[in-house]
Amino acid sequence: MPDLNNLPENDSENDQYPIEPRYHPVNRFARKIFDSLASSKLAMFLLVFILACCVVGVTVYRGQKAGEMIFGTLWFNGMLILLVINVACCFFGRIWGRKVTIISFGMILFHLSFVAIFAGIVYNSLFHFDGVIRLTEGETLPSGDVNSYDRADHGRFFSYAKLRGETTLIRMHIGYKVEGEDKRAAYEVEVGERGSKKKGIIYITHNLDYGDIKYLPEKEGYSLLTVLSDAQGREIYGAFVPLQSLKQGKENSYLYATGTKEGPESFPFPQEPEKPRYAVLLEYTPSPLKERSGEVHYQVWPLVPGEGMPAEKKIADAKAAVTEKIPAGAHQLSVKEVGYWVAMNVRYDPGKPVVLVSLWAGLGGMIITTFGRMLRRRGSARSNPGSTSLPEKEILG
Amino acid sequence: MKPELMLLWTAVGLYGLSAFSYIFGLISKSEKLFTVGLYSALAGFAPHVGTIALRWSATGITPFISISESLSLGVFMAVLVLLATLFAIKRLRPIGVLVMPVAFVLLGWSGTLMKEVAATIAPALQSGWIWVHIVGASTGFASVLIAAGLGLIYLLKENRTGGIYDRLPDLDTIDVLSYRYVAAGFIMYGLMIVSGCFWSNQVKGNYWNWDPVEVWSLISWLVYGIYLHLRITFGWRGRRLAWYALFALAAMIVSYWGIPFSMETFHSGFRIEH
Repeated sequence: MPDLNNLPENDSENDQYPIEPRYHPVNRFARKIFDSLASSKLAMFLLVFILACCVVGVTVYRGQKAGEMIFGTLWFNGMLILLVINVACCFFGRIWGRKVTIISFGMILFHLSFVAIFAGIVYNSLFHFDGVIRLTEGETLPSGDVNSYDRADHGRFFSYAKLRGETTLIRMHIGYKVEGEDKRAAYEVEVGERGSKKKGIIYITHNLDYGDIKYLPEKEGYSLLTVLSDAQGREIYGAFVPLQSLKQGKENSYLYATGTKEGPESFPFPQEPEKPRYAVLLEYTPSPLKERSGEVHYQVWPLVPGEGMPAEKKIADAKAAVTEKIPAGAHQLSVKEVGYWVAMNVRYDPGKPVVLVSLWAGLGGMIITTFGRMLRRRGSARSNPGSTSLPEKEILG
Repeated sequence: MKPELMLLWTAVGLYGLSAFSYIFGLISKSEKLFTVGLYSALAGFAPHVGTIALRWSATGITPFISISESLSLGVFMAVLVLLATLFAIKRLRPIGVLVMPVAFVLLGWSGTLMKEVAATIAPALQSGWIWVHIVGASTGFASVLIAAGLGLIYLLKENRTGGIYDRLPDLDTIDVLSYRYVAAGFIMYGLMIVSGCFWSNQVKGNYWNWDPVEVWSLISWLVYGIYLHLRITFGWRGRRLAWYALFALAAMIVSYWGIPFSMETFHSGFRIEH
């Protein structure tokens, strides 16, 4: 054990550079491994290497490609883990046996937080859930069913039993205001199990927490209640049809149509399990005067019997106001109601609190170290008033 | 021309005068030109504050959102920290040789990009974290810019004597001061990143998404983290760190304004689909 009454300060300016570790395991093999991991040259190499990877990840590759090639790869994440182990060995090996001062306490806090952040990230990666659930107004889906999600990523040890109960979209609010601030879109939702359901409004900067599960707004779009009627006007089938918001040109104008994000496309109507009769392409122009109203452009093709493919010739190409019917072969088509669909991000991140608290702890560590250095300078100035080596004395006045 | 633009270009003009006074002051070793540089920077600071105030009062929306406003805020903080430093430590006047040309160019760039004041603010930006974030970012930038200015005068003084060089603090003092400003910048960048993580967590439910702005801010922070480790662990001092501070500043400016704002990212506001 080191002599606690005669310990050097960790931040002594008289150290030999580069500063070498003070702790070495007794076992020869363990010592060899520890000394390799506590190498300051390895730390510098890893820092520069990760820095270079980051630069490549935002210049050569960008966005999703950068994630696939660098940030999401095993080797890059392995490098990050190695850096954390290296930082821990480097720092704690060097501070071992030194007197704890304000400066060293701040540095310990900073480096500990660094390790804790990565521990939180690793823990989170094993147990997390990150899914996108898409709902139309009035729709309810079971939260714990994997089929309820458009996209779902989860850690190796995550269980869907964590996602209890159901998720319901009650209504989508456009132009939602909070204390005069326009939140643009807000989702009124209800989540949870019967008897303990939680209702709330979510918008960007305001989420809904149900236990450890977080519900966040992601994106939204129009959904048209499209109805097929017979020649006498009797409704025989109806379904909500979600529309894509397709950006037009550089300005903020959109085309709202059925299809995919690549462009407008027709879809079979009625939808399965009913027998499809037509291929229908809908384009919606919202009214600037009244919400949930406007004009719909219908394009209808009959389906070739036996093939299920649309025929070449359209049987209807007409525009009509919402609720108005248009003739389509032996039937009539109409949009009875304009609603919204929303995509909500559902998250479970058990390691996140550790990461967030550690971020502040790390920042606190940096501030405490700086504060300690300022105190030390003042102490030096008082105990050595004739010194000319103090920058303040040198430059002031 | 609108009053805020008039004030902005007046500030650009005065910062330009200050920049050239500093540069010619250095070439001619004239203390008087440094005085002109200092007071024209001070004179330019007033209309600069005026243009920010006018934009702010026009809609009540914080004028620090677009790239031009971000540039303007960064320059505002850099000039504020420079003036505070120079009035506190008179012998450091030559650091304006780096700070004021950078301020002049960045504010001029901001002027060319300046658009109408935004009538609304994107919902994602309606968060209290914006204040912590922009204070961290702009103060961090100001600190590392001054540190680079100190690095430059370190390199200039190293091989020169006479006139203004003799009135500068000694090399060790300049070196220590540069280190302190880097340490301050490192903490402020830390504050920027931490507040950015909390802000992102509030908006996206995730504290880190590897988006270009996040990665560039991490790059800046790592660059200065390496500086501190080179000094504390490897014992680097003087000329090598002075050069490092200058190169790091270039990386910082690219990371702050160069690449991130050229693509659609979090900071460009959220896409609203409906």
